[in-house]
Amino acid sequence: SGELYCSLPNPRNVHFESVNMKNVLHWSAPEGTGDGVLYKVKYAVYGVGKWIRKPECRNINRTWCDLSSETSDYEEQYYASVKAFLNGTCSDWMETTRFNPLTDTKIDPPVVSVSSTDRSISIILTAPEKWKRSPEEESISLLQVYPGLQYNVSVLNKKTKKRWFFSISNNTLVVPWLEPSTAYCVSAQIHVTTPFLDSGFSKELCITTLKDK
Amino acid sequence: SVTEIRAGFRAIKANIQSRDPVRSLSILSHPQSLHKVKSSDRCCITHQLFTFYVDKVFKHCRTEDSFVNRKISSIANSFLSARRRLGQCHEQNNCPCGEESTEKFKQILANYEGLNVTSAAMKSLGELDILLDWMEKSR
Repeated sequence: SGELYCSLPNPRNVHFESVNMKNVLHWSAPEGTGDGVLYKVKYAVYGVGKWIRKPECRNINRTWCDLSSETSDYEEQYYASVKAFLNGTCSDWMETTRFNPLTDTKIDPPVVSVSSTDRSISIILTAPEKWKRSPEEESISLLQVYPGLQYNVSVLNKKTKKRWFFSISNNTLVVPWLEPSTAYCVSAQIHVTTPFLDSGFSKELCITTLKDK
Repeated sequence: SVTEIRAGFRAIKANIQSRDPVRSLSILSHPQSLHKVKSSDRCCITHQLFTFYVDKVFKHCRTEDSFVNRKISSIANSFLSARRRLGQCHEQNNCPCGEESTEKFKQILANYEGLNVTSAAMKSLGELDILLDWMEKSR
């Protein structure tokens, strides 16, 4: 569409939404525009002068664009920008704030697996993996990205409602001196002290200890 | 501590970075990334950078926002105490300065002097997370 005169209202709230470094640019449609608005997207590495167009997000009508591949180097920081088009007119380019994948991502809870004996439960925790381009690409655990990563673990005795909290750096925990034939529910969270990042708690996983021998 | 500096910076990051309109220049990360510094040079570069921030950056970063100013001065105080600890390493010669770190620090000063003082100081302050990310990664 030929750009005549940019009088279209601007896209709003242009920002990155990032989970496990899957970095997706989101925005809201310009105020007062119905259907038919198209967008194009560009991005830049902070400290490098060039804006780079994202071909897969050219003339799109959706209001998001996956820039994970373009922003996968978490030693760099980035800007992204969106422009809207409608009926031959356009908006200004609207930019994000500076995006730092390392500090501005959210982290999923760890995967929890549990097993039990009559008097103890064993908990194994697995940190999520960093986003990757394809299943064939080598997996990078967020444990490698955040050396200070720890786990907060909650264990609840369903009968007495008593709850314990543990904070551990390695990924296994054995909780001893429990009651036989009793249900215990486990939930865990990732905690990175610096940069400060906390995941939510995982869904509670319950297991019953075996009968007394 | 680094955690205090992080928390202080996170509170003012958007404000400070919005005062730096120059996307195409970086003080710390381009043309050569801090992450390329050899491990043997890390102590020296860290000491030089802490001195750089104390001597050249914080004093030129006053804003009209008292909340931001308070955060900047608390970050500056944390830097001062950290630099004192690093200085002791430097004196006990546990902090050798190789050719590479000298070269890298020269480049950072050149980037800094390529802008007017206030812009250079505000840009440097806005890049604190680049320094902190590098320090934590190389711990």
